Amino acid sequence: MSTKGTHIPDWLAVPFAGITPAPSQEKGQDLFPTGNWRSTRPVYRDKMPPCNNACGTNEKIQGYLDLVKRGRYLDAYALIKEDMPFPSVTGRVCYHPCEQACNRGQYDEAISIRAVERFLGDFGQALPKDVVKAGPPNGRKVAVVGSGPAGHSAAYQLARLGYAVTILEKSPKAGGLNRGGIPDWVLPQRVLDREIERLLELGITIRTNTEVGKDVSWDDLKKNYDACVLAVGLTEPNSVRAEGENKDGVIYGLPFLRDIGMGTSNVKLGRNVTVIGGGNTAIDCAREALRQGAEDVTMITVERNPKEMPCVPEDLHDMMEEGVVLMHARAMTAVLGNGRVEALQLYPARFSGAVNASPILIDREAPAERFPTDNVIIAVGQHASLAWLPAEFKNERGTIRIDRFGRLGDTMFFAAGDIAQVASGQPLMVVNAVGDGKRVAFSLDRVLRKEPLQERMVPIDVITDLARMNMTYFPHFPRLKQETLLPTFRRHTQEEVIQGFSGNQAFEEANRCFSCGTCNACDNCYLVCPEPCIVRSVRSNGLYRILTDYCKGCRVCIEECPTGCLESVPEMDFDTGVVRMDTAFAITPGLHGRQAEELKNLADRPAKDIENWK
Amino acid sequence: MPAIKVERQMLPMFASPNQGARFYNPELPQTEPFVPGHRTCAGCGPSIQYRMTSKAAGDNTILVGPTGCMYVANSSYLCTPYNVPWAHTQIGSAGSFTAGVAAAYEAMIRKGKWKGPFPNIICEAGDGSASDIGLASISGALYRNHDCLIICYDNEQYANTGIQASSRTPYGGMTTFSPPGKMVPEAKSLYPKDLARMMAAGHPHCYVATASVGYPIDLMNKVRKGLNHKGAAYIMIYTPCQKGFVYETPRSIDLGRLVVECGLYPMWEWDPEKRKFDYSFRPQNMRPVSEYLKLQGRFGHLHAEHVATMQKFANMQWKMMGVELPDALVRAADVKNVRDMGAAQAAEAVALTV
Repeated sequence: MSTKGTHIPDWLAVPFAGITPAPSQEKGQDLFPTGNWRSTRPVYRDKMPPCNNACGTNEKIQGYLDLVKRGRYLDAYALIKEDMPFPSVTGRVCYHPCEQACNRGQYDEAISIRAVERFLGDFGQALPKDVVKAGPPNGRKVAVVGSGPAGHSAAYQLARLGYAVTILEKSPKAGGLNRGGIPDWVLPQRVLDREIERLLELGITIRTNTEVGKDVSWDDLKKNYDACVLAVGLTEPNSVRAEGENKDGVIYGLPFLRDIGMGTSNVKLGRNVTVIGGGNTAIDCAREALRQGAEDVTMITVERNPKEMPCVPEDLHDMMEEGVVLMHARAMTAVLGNGRVEALQLYPARFSGAVNASPILIDREAPAERFPTDNVIIAVGQHASLAWLPAEFKNERGTIRIDRFGRLGDTMFFAAGDIAQVASGQPLMVVNAVGDGKRVAFSLDRVLRKEPLQERMVPIDVITDLARMNMTYFPHFPRLKQETLLPTFRRHTQEEVIQGFSGNQAFEEANRCFSCGTCNACDNCYLVCPEPCIVRSVRSNGLYRILTDYCKGCRVCIEECPTGCLESVPEMDFDTGVVRMDTAFAITPGLHGRQAEELKNLADRPAKDIENWK
Repeated sequence: MPAIKVERQMLPMFASPNQGARFYNPELPQTEPFVPGHRTCAGCGPSIQYRMTSKAAGDNTILVGPTGCMYVANSSYLCTPYNVPWAHTQIGSAGSFTAGVAAAYEAMIRKGKWKGPFPNIICEAGDGSASDIGLASISGALYRNHDCLIICYDNEQYANTGIQASSRTPYGGMTTFSPPGKMVPEAKSLYPKDLARMMAAGHPHCYVATASVGYPIDLMNKVRKGLNHKGAAYIMIYTPCQKGFVYETPRSIDLGRLVVECGLYPMWEWDPEKRKFDYSFRPQNMRPVSEYLKLQGRFGHLHAEHVATMQKFANMQWKMMGVELPDALVRAADVKNVRDMGAAQAAEAVALTV
């Protein structure tokens, strides 16, 4: 069908019988635009993966797993740093709500997201210079009270926004709960020190040994800074209101861990140690007690079985491996002994479920139990110490009075972290505090810039579930386990219990990710399109184009999309978020139409144009 | 006469994790010899196959299209969606035309009129052309061992003339030539011609393989193996036809997988060097045939005994491939354990009124 050597008049320059231009992928064959056969069209719309949604600080988990599986570790680290100032810390201590939400958990086993995060965190720690830079200075000063997870996160985000940030910390070392609440064998001090160094590199000033209410007053904060973030955390341990709780040998969980973390501990434990409480702090205390020289450690909880305990199941498992004994459905009512703990008085107990009354029902009819022990560690939660706070900002429950953006009334004071979240029903975990610090930092920024506050940080459209995805493309593949030290060895040492991933392991684990609801450029739609009207110009996320002039709406690509990112949209019934095709049923007329136009004008032309075309 | 040196294109294989399920194939060529703007039906299986085949072959390719869907629907009004040379030939002369193209290039190279590598010559015959009308000419081309690849895109019927039965139409498949009724309740009582094995047995010097659109990387690799093979090659590719099979258009690729997983389309390669069948391809799952049948309207009239018969047929195919049958499949071949297809009664009622 060559046109070589044939003279073509103007009015036949458009294709006619036997004379067609060469078709191309971008323009198609041009004579039959088949798009008007279509009643639905495929649309790429990235949805919220369940991991990103479950994360306390909405890390872009799917995003960095995708980068790791392409071997782009630096990009992955930069992505994680957008929401998380210290991935090396959360990679060790996080209770990983992302892994519980992971869709892969319903298929075979959840992705080991925390281990990949830790790998990236350690990768970032080894970099000579961090990827994050402080924003251009905007001349405003912000104080952050407390250098725990929330304070660290808020200071980090504010520095990135260009604020001059000062952190006020009452302890001799910065780190807050990260240092004082998390034992060394979970989070080594050198890791935390390096993360604090990174903060200093951002130009943040840290003033240690500075306590609000003692060294700095409320009015000082008001006067010297444009705004202030209060992230003081919950520092005072709860008591169990038992008789004789003031005897020698009774220790409270959080101060016990804090003193060891700060290096100021002078506690000597006996042979038998009992821990009261069933949460994460109690578990850490029990395991720390073993490492401080105790031989037999018993944990007494009100819960009836291990499943009901409000803790991370893995940590519970590791604790049992180390030889801690559990006693369920009991409450301590008295500490017995002559000036020093000799035994505990225990009664059967259960949770009443009551909201206003005491939540624990103790059965005093039953015979009391005498439980001999040398030390008792009480770890049943903690509360805030707010003596320095002006009374107008306290509420009836003794916590801080804030609005939903974390702001104290009309002041330039904001509260973040456990102190703000204690009454909200959120789990009081590191990652939730980090998320709160981030949100408060952005709210503070908006207030100072006099912009309206935003209700949510990340808009949620649809959280992708398995039903939206095509599981044919995912072979079953077991989860990679992190190596751990042997229980008999680790119970006497401060060495890190859980070992990190190597680069290869992180790559393989990330490779298991489904990329739920997000285009990860797998080329599936591109390869199965019958037209083929899906064009791949640049290979990267979501960069396919559908030639709507030709798409017949067969929906093969939608059915075969492994991640469920493609969806079908009725052609005449677009909702928001989708660009309406301006010519739904009157798409480009193609060459037939153009030729018809030419022929219509034929009569207006002088006759010689047609006849003397040589 | 001095030996003529023929430069040949050797195409590399694609990496195929998970037997064809694909993840990030950076080697996929950018070249696109088959472009949009053709008038095949939405979700057309042969069209998917055509695209994958031509993409695997690359730009230095000559396509031959005997009469069939891929000629009628694609080349109306004297223009085609092919970016490479393409020629139509009669339905019966698929093999002879292709052999002629190959012989012509051999001659041109011999006379020094064609510089450059020998082109990939691909004939895209439908199952009507390949199994019925053009069988003799294709067999001739294979016998003479011309350097070409002959593909039978097997949509199991004459589709462009409005769904008539071909010798590849499966047992029980309804077409306009094989309607279900009182006399023949299973619609088609004949079993399909085992075309690819016939070609392998009759022309053992050729590369012969079967493939399915459900496994694109496997398909493209087989096409490349066929093109790399010096001499004639023959590939039969399962391509669902939405109009003839009567299914929802999005299931095209899914059917391509199911037909293999149900054992109705054994995947194998004939190795001309060792003169042996290679049955090493294994789908992810094995399923009873009803899972494949229930998606398609053309099997809606089947009664339990027909489904059991098809299961027996599938089980024999599995055995041929040397696969140990799970108990569930053996049980499914017993009429007692099988149910009628959903529309069996309705189809019978309609057949009585006609």
